[in-house]
Amino acid sequence: MLPFHEHLVTELLQEDAVVVMAAGLGLSKVLAALLRLHSASDGIFFLLSMSDSQRQALREELQEQDSKAELPVEINNEYTGSERLTCYTAGGSFFVTSRILIVDMLNERVPLQRVAGIIVNNAHRITESCAEAFIVRLYRIANKSGFIRAFSDRAQGMRLGFLRTERIMKSLFVKKLLLWPRFHLSVTTALEANPPEVVDIRVPMTSYMMGIQSAIVEVMDACLKELRKTNKIDVEDLTVENGLFKSFDEIIKRQLDPIWHTLGRKTKQLVRDLKTLRELADYLVRYDAVTFLRYLDTVRASEGVRSVWIFAPPTHKIFDLAKRRVYQTVRVDKGLLLTSAGSSRFNLKPGRGRRGSQGQGRGKDLPFAVVEAECHGHKRKRDDIGRMNSDRMESKSADVELNLDSVDSKTFEAHAGDKDAAKKGTDRTSASEEGKLPGDAGVVLEVVLEEMPKWKVLREILEEIQEERSQEPSCSTTEQLSQSSVDAGSVVLVACKDERTCLQLQNSVVEAPSQLMQAEWNKYLLEKAELHGMRTRSLKRNNNAKGFGILNGRAPKANKAAGCLNNSHSLEQNALLVAAAEVAREVIEVDNESAQRVTRSCGRGGRSKQVDDDTGSDKRKSRRKGGHQGKRLANSKDLANEDGDTLVKEQSSSKMKASGAMPPEKSTAEDGPHLVMKQGDMKIAAEEVHPRKPIPLVHFYALESEPSILEVLRPSFIVVYDPDMNFVREMEVYKAEHPARPMKVYFLFYENSTEAQKFEASIQKENDAFESLIRQKASMMISVDQDVQILDGSPVSQSATGVALNISSRKAGGRKAPEKQMQIIVDMREFSSSLPCVLHQQGIRILPVTLEVGDYVLSPDICIERKSVADLISSFASGRLYHQAETMTRYYKLPVLLIEFSQDKTFSLQSANDVGDEIFSANIVSRMSLLVLHFPRLRIVWSRSLHATADIFATLKANQDEADVEKAMRVGVPTEDGLIEGDLRAENYNSTAVELLRRLPGVTDANYRSLMDGCKSLAELALFSLEELAKLMGGQRPARMLRDFLDAKCPTLT
Amino acid sequence: SIPSAAQARNAILVSRRQQGNPILKHIRNVRWMFGDIVPDYVLGQTSCALYLSLRYHLLHPDYLYFRIRELLKSFHLRIVLCHVDVEDVIKPLHEVTKTALLHDCSLVCAWSLEECARYLETIKMYEHKPADDIQERTDNDYLSRLSSVLKTVRHVNKTDVMTLGSTFGTLAAIMGSSMEELACCPGIGEKKVKRLYDAFHEPFRRTS
Repeated sequence: MLPFHEHLVTELLQEDAVVVMAAGLGLSKVLAALLRLHSASDGIFFLLSMSDSQRQALREELQEQDSKAELPVEINNEYTGSERLTCYTAGGSFFVTSRILIVDMLNERVPLQRVAGIIVNNAHRITESCAEAFIVRLYRIANKSGFIRAFSDRAQGMRLGFLRTERIMKSLFVKKLLLWPRFHLSVTTALEANPPEVVDIRVPMTSYMMGIQSAIVEVMDACLKELRKTNKIDVEDLTVENGLFKSFDEIIKRQLDPIWHTLGRKTKQLVRDLKTLRELADYLVRYDAVTFLRYLDTVRASEGVRSVWIFAPPTHKIFDLAKRRVYQTVRVDKGLLLTSAGSSRFNLKPGRGRRGSQGQGRGKDLPFAVVEAECHGHKRKRDDIGRMNSDRMESKSADVELNLDSVDSKTFEAHAGDKDAAKKGTDRTSASEEGKLPGDAGVVLEVVLEEMPKWKVLREILEEIQEERSQEPSCSTTEQLSQSSVDAGSVVLVACKDERTCLQLQNSVVEAPSQLMQAEWNKYLLEKAELHGMRTRSLKRNNNAKGFGILNGRAPKANKAAGCLNNSHSLEQNALLVAAAEVAREVIEVDNESAQRVTRSCGRGGRSKQVDDDTGSDKRKSRRKGGHQGKRLANSKDLANEDGDTLVKEQSSSKMKASGAMPPEKSTAEDGPHLVMKQGDMKIAAEEVHPRKPIPLVHFYALESEPSILEVLRPSFIVVYDPDMNFVREMEVYKAEHPARPMKVYFLFYENSTEAQKFEASIQKENDAFESLIRQKASMMISVDQDVQILDGSPVSQSATGVALNISSRKAGGRKAPEKQMQIIVDMREFSSSLPCVLHQQGIRILPVTLEVGDYVLSPDICIERKSVADLISSFASGRLYHQAETMTRYYKLPVLLIEFSQDKTFSLQSANDVGDEIFSANIVSRMSLLVLHFPRLRIVWSRSLHATADIFATLKANQDEADVEKAMRVGVPTEDGLIEGDLRAENYNSTAVELLRRLPGVTDANYRSLMDGCKSLAELALFSLEELAKLMGGQRPARMLRDFLDAKCPTLT
Repeated sequence: SIPSAAQARNAILVSRRQQGNPILKHIRNVRWMFGDIVPDYVLGQTSCALYLSLRYHLLHPDYLYFRIRELLKSFHLRIVLCHVDVEDVIKPLHEVTKTALLHDCSLVCAWSLEECARYLETIKMYEHKPADDIQERTDNDYLSRLSSVLKTVRHVNKTDVMTLGSTFGTLAAIMGSSMEELACCPGIGEKKVKRLYDAFHEPFRRTS
């Protein structure tokens, strides 16, 4: 705890307040202190809306401050209603989800008088009618003395929208705002008295990376220009520079939000594209070259046709450069090939060439070369056709295709032969991967595998740290020794964004980066091969049409292996496939070897094809080797003493082959002038000559997924691999708390990259936000009597129409009749929306239960399904709405669909321009029409706002009986299932899993319950045999459908 | 001339009262003709519609009620086509909603003449159309089924589905994957990893 933390705690104890703190300044320290000052005898202490990581951080902080401190009880769906009641009665502090708490409060399970206070976290998310505001309201009505404190560490979030902060404060009944920016005087004095030593390292990006980045920026610019044309958006602050920051699509989204559902397809797509592009820019510096390419491939395949940016001219450059960072294709002149058959063949495939010298390979190669020439002849012919048909393979003339099919199968036979030859060869030649890979039609694959520039720098820093350390053992005075004992201070902390980066960095630092790249590349190739179905290795089956069933998951165009020699793209594909086949074979070989040594149990029940399993085990292997989460402390204590070379050999003698990296002895077996040495290779060579320098013990820390670790590790050296404002602050606070501990921080930025800009901008933005909050605070108007309104407990009548709530005014001249309070039965799941809160504000009693049919039950006859406009559209598309309308009409006399528009959005489903000239079945009008046609009894309510909805509810309820809760709950619940015990049924299910299960083929309303009884989780379900499934699902047919779908191969990407 | 029965069956019948209503100009995809009918529009054997402009309603608040009262019970589907042509909609719309609801009419709101006309056209056109378009679709191709399955997990998009599919090969493998394996998929961040993992490994029923 620093002085300013203590100051804040004292302030909070005096008066309720909303606290906005700069990110990373140690909110959990303040919370922990507040918790410690509270004892169970004081009553109940609720902590609302805290994320998992925040809870974790708070727990750790509590332990840190006082190891005997009592941790708050976490109330979640595992507690039954009565258990919760016991908890509340006992008192103490609780983490509780707002939905549970609200339901408990409405069901009068919470002794509100005994609640000492409520702490609301993430206050920037509060709105007038959110669940937390509802809770605080209910609390304040019953208890006026307890405290309400709210916290936020996102200053930016506090100023989104009009008078945001003031509204938040009003909703929480808090009158004071406390601001703690980083530039607060007491914060600066505390943090800057003894700052850590900082080294800022700017790592230049490679020219390819620069190229990709500028291309991305170009495409973004193009997209922005398009967006401007729509005239729907204020483009003042929409510059590309802004575009690289996270808030960019938020800005656009916010601008477009009110009219979002009326926007045309293209505009929406553009906004989505901008997001994709921003992510790409981000991934460019975070993912290695191969992964980046893989991601690009996937993006292209999944959003190819829909997106706009894919067709922008500079996009081509992104794809091209991304590819070139991984491999390049070199066209080999055909003429040369034909004239100098013998030698050029060697040029073509150096690897095989050498094998060829054994005699067999050459013989096998010969027909291959001839076939190649033949098919090239065809290719010329079709080139023109192909161009016209924009490389659609289906549109080829039949005879040519036929011809090529036969040619191609020959080609592959030749390949197979080739492989046999290779198998016989005892010496494993990896030259084909290192240098040129043979394509089967005149294209040579040249593997580049560009490494991330930061990797090398990171390794260098680590080596430097080690050196620095080894030089100063003499000066490691008593102080240092006592402070950073052997276990803690000696570790170097490397902070990066996520687990994935952690793993990669670990591999790249401990092993050679080139090896890592090679492994990624192999994975990439295998995936390619997999997709092309090559790895089944029975090529005849591949040509057999039977193999292309829908469930087999191979799109028909996978046939391309046969007929796609028509353009350079497919030449490249083929080259890739050849390389992949090579790798695949090696993996199988290695795997067989290791299988002989160790009998491994196949984790996935041996159902997946052999090849699958290989990849799986390969991955497992690398994982094992790569170290596990949590234990990521690289065991480099001993490594440090060995030289890197032997280490590599030892660690992965078998893996070496699989990954195809060059074995050390390889470097002596140099392979002629045609082996192209690229950067990566150079480095290996260099490293092999000079043994790698020792590095210190390293801990890789994922900023996104782990709570702070500084207190545990007490590192004296920190390398910030991915710069992050939050973490910087954490380091500052840590350093300020322990001024005596030495700390040196290295920042790694890519020069001229978006990364550095982003980091600086994030700080700038926070400061701006605080400045504006300070100004707001000065002119804030918080009415003194805001509590008074609720003091008398009368509903805040905000009737939107002014007609609804005065139903009784005609009777007895508006005298307040001692009428029974209206009540509405509300489905539990609805508490994530604001309507229950608003209904309650209007003086209606809310009865929360779990409803199988409908969201609100107003009377025995009236049942309402509420849909926001977005829900409406999506539930039309998914068919959910149809189903809901069906059940509602079945069980209720007056089924109502409520279409709820939000007050700050336009009131319309589409603009006049979007109506179009023709009837279009996907249009919302068409869907609404179908709905009314099929459900003539369904009533539709179009509500302008939450308050309008509340009025309509009140009107509908007039002259109706109150609904019976028990009955409403039973509606639609299958009788054999009976009533399910306990109230929070929705909470008791893993609803995502259930929904997912119900969407699986073969799973029906009739059998999903027994499936859920028969197996615990989806993961378990995936392991069930056909027979077991048949037993659970009541028949072979659905079981087979399900099993087939589970085992179907995912189709190809390209 | 009196239109033949067949013609009448394929066209929207329009009441003479609607003569001069500008929405008629926008009915282009379906034929329409005047006829002696009680409702404003007859859109099929058992469906009809009343047209109401909110602006008109403000002047004649009782109009809708009297029109509905005239309607014969022979229409199964009685639509009140409400043209939202005023700025301050809440009060008039509330009244219209109430009237429609209490007198067994389906209220349909439209915000432009074009949209009003489009509703009439579509309801006529779709008179005998099955509900397939709004029912749960069983798209037969593997990828759409796979995405529909995996997209039940929040924030999983099509690219993620592809990534998962190509990384693990089969759905069974995806479901059995470990957290680390999921984390290695490009584009799938920590949160999505957790969501996916929970969906696959958390038991269906949380309390036993």
